[in-house]
Amino acid sequence: MHMHKYEKIWLFFGIGSLFLFLTIVGVSAFAQGNQPPSCLTTIDPEKVDQTPPFNKPGLVKTGDNEYQLNIVASAFAYTPNQIEIPKGAKVTINVTTKDVIHGFEMVGTNVNMMVEPGYVNSFTKTFNETGEFTILCNEYCGTGHHLMTAKVKVVDKQ
Amino acid sequence: MPQLTDKKTKVKTEEHSSLKGTLASVFLLGFFLIFTWVGVYFLFLDRL
Ligand SMILES: [Cu+2]
Repeated sequence: MHMHKYEKIWLFFGIGSLFLFLTIVGVSAFAQGNQPPSCLTTIDPEKVDQTPPFNKPGLVKTGDNEYQLNIVASAFAYTPNQIEIPKGAKVTINVTTKDVIHGFEMVGTNVNMMVEPGYVNSFTKTFNETGEFTILCNEYCGTGHHLMTAKVKVVDKQ
Repeated sequence: MPQLTDKKTKVKTEEHSSLKGTLASVFLLGFFLIFTWVGVYFLFLDRL
């Protein structure tokens, strides 16, 4: 089959970028261990209040400068909704929902997850600067959707 | 039979239309895609 020289050029670039993308995704997933915020960690959505760690939601210290922040989303609130994090802390946020699908977006950061009933979503972030972050629901979940917020304060260590 | 082969060679030697404009627009689109992806990546790094 005869192919025009220009056609060969753009096909080379097209197929080349496909392989480049697959390589990046493959290295990220298999070599660096990256995974989506919800990676098959399941929970009974009707027993969230009885299931640890969501029976006592909040910030838990798990190591030197390492924390776990467990949050329960429900229509139309986050529990807890006022959180203080010491500056420099490496926090793994775990979120689940008791009812419908909610969103979990920490404005201005990369923390942005969909919260589905039956699953636990996790995201790890280090908070290196003091300040305030708003958490909001970015998946329409009902009449009170726009009221669904929480506040995180990153404070200097005492 | 000789007439048939004549026809064939005629098709083969048919002039190609210029693909310069196509090449330019394909790469214009390609660079736009690369620019937007790199932009999103730097936004991600900035928010880490
Ligand atoms: Cu919601």
